[in-house]
Amino acid sequence: MKLLTHNMLTSHVKGVTKGYPLLIKATEVKVNEVEFNPQFVSRMIPKLEWSALVQAAEELGHRQDLPGELVADYETNEEFLKKVHRILLEVEVLEGCLQCPESGREFPISRGIPNMLLNEDEA
Amino acid sequence: MSSQEDESAGGGSEPAEPSSSPSTEIGTTSGDIITVTIGATVPTGFEHTAAEEIKEKIGVDARISKDRGRVFFPITTDKLFQVHLLRSVDNLFVVVEEYHHYQFKESKEETLMELQQLASTLPWTNALEVWKQNGTLKKKKGHRRGGNTAKSKPNCEGVGGSMASTEQQELPQENSAPEGWAGDTQAMETSTQDSDETGHGSKLIKFRVTCNRAGDKHSFSSNEAARDFGGAVQEFFQWKADMTKFDIEVLLNIHNEEVVIGIALTEESLHRRNISHFGPTTLRSTLCYGMLRLCKPQASDIILDPMCGTGAIPLEGAIEFNHSFYVAGDNNDMAVNRTVNNICHIQKRRADKGSMSGLPIDTVQWDLCSLPIRTSSVDIIITDMPFGKRMGSRKKNWDLYPSCLREMARVCRPGSGKAVLLTQDKKCFSKAISRMGGLWRKQHTVWVNVGGLHAGVYLLKRTGAVFGQTPEDVYESRGLTLVFSLV
Repeated sequence: MKLLTHNMLTSHVKGVTKGYPLLIKATEVKVNEVEFNPQFVSRMIPKLEWSALVQAAEELGHRQDLPGELVADYETNEEFLKKVHRILLEVEVLEGCLQCPESGREFPISRGIPNMLLNEDEA
Repeated sequence: MSSQEDESAGGGSEPAEPSSSPSTEIGTTSGDIITVTIGATVPTGFEHTAAEEIKEKIGVDARISKDRGRVFFPITTDKLFQVHLLRSVDNLFVVVEEYHHYQFKESKEETLMELQQLASTLPWTNALEVWKQNGTLKKKKGHRRGGNTAKSKPNCEGVGGSMASTEQQELPQENSAPEGWAGDTQAMETSTQDSDETGHGSKLIKFRVTCNRAGDKHSFSSNEAARDFGGAVQEFFQWKADMTKFDIEVLLNIHNEEVVIGIALTEESLHRRNISHFGPTTLRSTLCYGMLRLCKPQASDIILDPMCGTGAIPLEGAIEFNHSFYVAGDNNDMAVNRTVNNICHIQKRRADKGSMSGLPIDTVQWDLCSLPIRTSSVDIIITDMPFGKRMGSRKKNWDLYPSCLREMARVCRPGSGKAVLLTQDKKCFSKAISRMGGLWRKQHTVWVNVGGLHAGVYLLKRTGAVFGQTPEDVYESRGLTLVFSLV
């Protein structure tokens, strides 16, 4: 699971109103090489929940010096874009789980695949 | 004779009488650049998409044939390698000759005799030259090929030249029945000799003829045409007929009055190129590509396939439209695992070639009627919806389709969002859509053929309406039917 995906995932357990962002408990993390495309990154940033991204990076120990708030004129700041690129696409959680911040329900991650299926009573 | 289509392959028959044959050497004009016409078979319904891709990648205008699923375009031999970059084509061939209004003789005997005579008069030289060059191209590049059936050839990753070593083929054996259950990857033994040796007059060329015939007014069958035409070709060139281990495949395509004679440039269909782990309903990559082109993915678009099966669509997207990000999801254990296997397979292949292997794609296991995705966060939804014939059921679709469409509308960005949905259950789909005018608008439909089933690819636009506030998406509990009667 990449952090870009994590940024979109929420808990949908019945009755939960604050199911985002999911907490990450990773037991195995991998870093891949993905081709850098500055336009991709700069256009993606407005679609993200920035604080959730930073929090997730922090939880994985890969935050490095990612700022808590977006810098001005990030579109042309290639160094910044590269940092974002790395955290969005290159860091992957292979094993672990995602936890609903409200209910505490854990969704396992195995082989990089989060299992978000709910039991009948939770749906 | 009622309208019928049939296809058969012939290896040749006993010649009627000896005739003078040309030299067996193929093409001595290897230095010159010549222009030829290339024919390509594409998924029916996506001819225009293919023409677009051809214009974009090769820079020429393609002509769409009346015989559906075929396009033609010119190319110069120095640019031949470009045809192998096309993602919307299943098979490629070089045209020897085309007749748009072929006048068949009245009787079968006369017609077949004429076909035989045709063989020696056709302009074979240029086409054979292209065939030869294409063989060289394939050796050098070791480009991808789809599944393999009876023929087994080495996967040419090495430098050109004849390869005598056996090599394990990564891609599985494809069943001859379309979309059959093909199971997991199998290792394949390959034949020892690469018989693609080109241009040697001394080596005996092996060939076969494949005939496709469609139309009401023909007095002959494709079997007969292949047999007689094949026999004449054999006589003319002194090639050896071989149904399975052939070097040259001659194509005889007859569609009403249109007759095209060509030489195949692709051995197997390219359509399953990305998939090594098949599932019961894996969609061919050319169809996936066609669907993706329809929705025109932009840079940083978030593209979801909520019923991904083996991941064919998002994987094709991650490779070919890699400026977007793909999330493949399915509720089924096997499906998500197969998807990950397919992604890993491609990444490994890329790594082996020395390029950056990471792809912009992720896999999640989820229930598509209750997606664990933030509202309005997805730009495009693209998927192959269960048809109800090979998977699921018609009855299930009546409930599934509306719930699906609503959940997809929720996660899709209002105003700019789009969906490209493939389904054979057109009735159920149309009904479900008609009740969601507040959320989805039909923009365009492409009619396609998927494994013999007539299906529709629906391009939908997400309206600007915020989810949960349109009258229709409030669940109707009343279900009254009003009956009007004229008194």
